This record gives sequence, C-alpha cells and structure tokens, in this order.
Amino acid sequence: MGCEAMKLALESVGHAFLGRPVFEKLDLSLVEGEVVALIGPSGCGKTTVLQIAAGLIDPLRGRVRRAYRRHAVVFQEPRLLPWMTARDNIAYGLCAIGASATARVEVAERRAREVGLHPEDLDKFPVELSGGMRQRVAVARALAVDPDVVFFDEPFTAVDVGLKRALQDLVIEAAAREHFSALFVTHDLAEAVRVAHRLVVLSGSVEGLAASRVIEGKPGERNDRIVFEMVETWSRDPAFHALFDGERERIR
Amino acid sequence: MKLVPRGLALAGWAGRYVWSGWAGVAGLFCLAAAWQAGHEFYGSFVLPSPLETLQAISVIVREPSFAKVARETAERSLAGFVLAVGIGTTAGAIAGYSFAAMRLMRPIVTVILGVPPIAWIVLALIWFGSTGASAVMTVVVAALPISFAGGLEGVATRDRALDAMARSFGAGIWMRFRTVTAPHLISYLFPAWTTTAGTAWKVTVMAELLSNSGGIGGELATARALFDIPRVMALIVAVVAFALITEYVFLHPLRDRLERWREAGLPWGVKR
Ligand SMILES: Nc1ncnc2c1ncn2[C@@H]1O[C@H](COP(=O)(O)OP(=O)(O)OP(=O)(O)O)[C@@H](O)[C@H]1O
Ligand SMILES: [Mg+2]
Repeated sequence: MGCEAMKLALESVGHAFLGRPVFEKLDLSLVEGEVVALIGPSGCGKTTVLQIAAGLIDPLRGRVRRAYRRHAVVFQEPRLLPWMTARDNIAYGLCAIGASATARVEVAERRAREVGLHPEDLDKFPVELSGGMRQRVAVARALAVDPDVVFFDEPFTAVDVGLKRALQDLVIEAAAREHFSALFVTHDLAEAVRVAHRLVVLSGSVEGLAASRVIEGKPGERNDRIVFEMVETWSRDPAFHALFDGERERIR
Repeated sequence: MKLVPRGLALAGWAGRYVWSGWAGVAGLFCLAAAWQAGHEFYGSFVLPSPLETLQAISVIVREPSFAKVARETAERSLAGFVLAVGIGTTAGAIAGYSFAAMRLMRPIVTVILGVPPIAWIVLALIWFGSTGASAVMTVVVAALPISFAGGLEGVATRDRALDAMARSFGAGIWMRFRTVTAPHLISYLFPAWTTTAGTAWKVTVMAELLSNSGGIGGELATARALFDIPRVMALIVAVVAFALITEYVFLHPLRDRLERWREAGLPWGVKR
C-alpha cells in the first residue's frame, strides 16, 4: 500500500528515562487504513513508543509528524472514570471535542451496540461492569470520536482467550469498516498476525527496530491455520528471537 | 418519561436516608438515659434532667431575642466555614499541583495548626475587639488546616493514568480538573468539610463567650453569671442540634448525591 497517504511518521526518534536510553533512531510510519502491530519483549519500550506517537510524552530526540485530525488511545488498562456511567465514559472524547449532548447520547449508544454492550449496561458505573465489559467500553470510547488513527497498547492482555478473540475481531471489523490507521502494541505474535497488515519488532537492545514484515493477506481473512503457520515460521526467524528466549525482562 | 423514574429514585433515596436516622435517634436516647442517671445521682443544680432542659429549650425558643442571637451565631459560623473551606481548599489544591507551593505552604499550615484556638481568640480580640469578626477569624484559622490538608491530599493523589487518558482525547486543563481531579478531590474534602462545620459552631460559641460579642455564646455567658443551669444546658443542646442539622440535613445528603458511583460499588449487603 505504498501509494496511500502517510498519516503518522516517527523519524529517528530516541528516548531515555532518567538518562537510561530505551531506544534510539527509531523510524516508524503508518499509512492510511494500515494496521501496524508493534511487537517486542516486555520492558523493551513499546508503551513508550506508543506514548510518543500519541503525543503523551515528548521524545528526547527525533520528531513525530502527524497528518490527521484526531486520534484515540486504548490503554493497557481500561482507564474509565469511576464516577461516570458507561454511557458518559464512552462519550468522554466527544465531550472533549465539544459535541452536542444529543449527538453524544446517540453516538455513545451506537458505539456501545457495535462493541456488544447491552443498552441496560450503559447506565452502570464501571465498578458494576465485568473486566471484559470495561475493556469494551474503553474500545467504544476510542471509536466514538471517529479517529483517523487509533493507538492500542496491549488492550486485551487481561481478558480470557475467547473474549480476546471476540475483541480482536471487533477491532479488525472496525478498522476495515472505518478505514482508520492503527498502531497495535502487543507481545503476542499470534495476536499481531491476526489483526495487522504489517508487523514491526522492537528489539530488546537500544538500536530500535529489529525487523519489519508485511503479513500476507488481509486481517480478518486469515484463518487459524494460516495464523498458526505464520507464527511457527517466524518463531524460527532470528529477528524474532528476543520474543521467545527465556529472559522476559531485559537486564541492563 | 424519564422524570417519573428519576422522581421515584429520589423519593426512595430520601426514604432510606430518613429511615437510617432511626439508628442515630436510638443512640441519642441511650445518651439521654445516661444523662438522666447522672441527674438522679448529682441533682438538678449540677446536672438538670433532660426533661427540665427540654422545658428550658421550649421557653428559650419562644423568646424573640433567641432567634436573633441564633441567627447571629449562625451567620458567623457560616462566614467562618465558607472562608475556611474556600481559602483552605484553594491553597491546598494549589499546593497539590505545585511542588514548590507545597514546600512553601506546608510549614505555614503546621505553624497555624500548632497555635491553640484559645490563643487565636486573644489575638482576634486585640485586633478586632468585641465584634463578630473576632469569632469569624478564630473559626477560619482553627478550621483552615483541615481543608488545606484535604485539598492537598486530594490533588496530589489524583489518578495520573486517568489524566493521561483525558489528555489523549485532547481535554483541556479545565475539563481535566472538572472530570478527573474534582470528583476524586470531593472524597477528600467531605471529611474536612464536616469537621469544619462542627468546628465552626463550637469555635464561634467559644469566641462569642470569651469576647462577649453577643450570639449564643453571649447568652451562655449571661446564663452562667445568673447560675441558670437549665438554661445553660438548653443552650448547649441547641448548639449541638444546630451542628447535627448542618451535618445531616445539608452536608450528608449532598455527599450522597455527589458520590452515587461509590455506593454502586458496594456489595449488596452493605448498601443501605
Ligand atoms: N515513567 C518512567 N520512568 C522511568 N522509567 C520508565 C518509565 N516508563 C517506562 N520506563 C522504563 O522504560 C522501559 C520501557 O518501558 P515500557 O513501559 O515502554 O515497556 P513495554 O515494552 O511497554 O513493556 P510491557 O510489555 O511490559 O508493557 C522499561 O525499562 C521501564 O522501566
Ligand atoms: Mg507496556
């Protein structure tokens, strides 16, 4: 998809926390409608890349170019406001961009339906929802603002396998339908292969990206056997070794 | 359409709230029983019986002057409450946001906290004389540190993850304060506010008594001088009643309304 418009570009971005470098000279770009999975071992700086891309922290070096109106973030935890009902939580982003009250209610109810929430759940507070329902609300809240780019930070690590599939399908469908670009952070190779068009691996050491692979076919059209075989093939690829070797946390 | 269930919910809440008052009333009657026992042991001169006190109250409330002094005291405590809560909360919130401001204000508040209220009354008497202003000032300095601490803790412990979430949606400073920080802050402020409301009544009466500036405190000083013990008791009961009314008629219902989400998280048995 080389000819499509560039939505987001990180150009030789580097970052360090308290003088400890996390990564250097990282280049990453997203074109329109493209879902890129960012994968890497725990603690390698995936969340940091995502926060820089979403403008939540400023990179120490390099620059970020954005060519879109609006983005949304789905965090590692649902991050719902406990004092607002599910409906108001979904409408939170709309509130921030100044949508009218009627538009907020209408959009919140439509998005809730899309992510599989019952209308009666909308009047509940987050404490009254199950973990999976909370993550659904978080996804609905991100989609509610009609984003051009969505950042997902390991959104489904805390839910069980069946629900994980359902939520992944939900993201795949939404991306195909609404044609947003997405950066999908995960440490699960199978999840990356299911949802993304392209896969980039953040290496365990400081130098930045270890590999970038285009995944054949379209997300949603790959069946379980294809996904399984791709994961099998790539797990023998040296570029992916950091993901599978025994030490989970990087020791510096 | 939506008005009817909402009205029903409100009525249900009000019913439960009033009903929960029975437990409190039962406690108060236990206290009255102990009071009666004390009265029978020490006699009317030291401790008038609850009944005598009730009679004295019914006499007092019919006096036209009582309404005036009660209003005077109420206005002073309200002014003290509003100023203490306003200044304390604002300063505390600023200190919560700014590390430098916290470093600067903490010792000041510690010093204010260290000075006993009685010393403030003496100072206020020198500065303002025998006027309502000395009572108000005493309330403000006595109650300010609690609101300050509440505001500071509330802002300092705000959820930064939620704040980042709000920023990711492009929410401005004001919206983030309104939706992320303020609801969290409220839960820190309510204990401070109820304590301040109680302190406001007590300290106002004390300052009035010592500075001889009218109000219920002034009445109390007169009754003491005349050795009218039932009247002293009646005035004390009146002040306690005012403090209870402030807390249970104004502050608690407000809290229940604002913190509905917290009640939603309680397990079924614990809900009222
Ligand atoms: N606010 C911070 N202050 C200091 N160090 C930090 C901070 N945030 C992250 N780090 C460090 O930066 C490194 C990368 O963290 P990051 O959260 O980006 O990892 P991650 O790839 O998202 O890990 P995981 O898969 O476990 O979520 C880690 O070594 C972490 O200790
Ligand atoms: Mg992370």
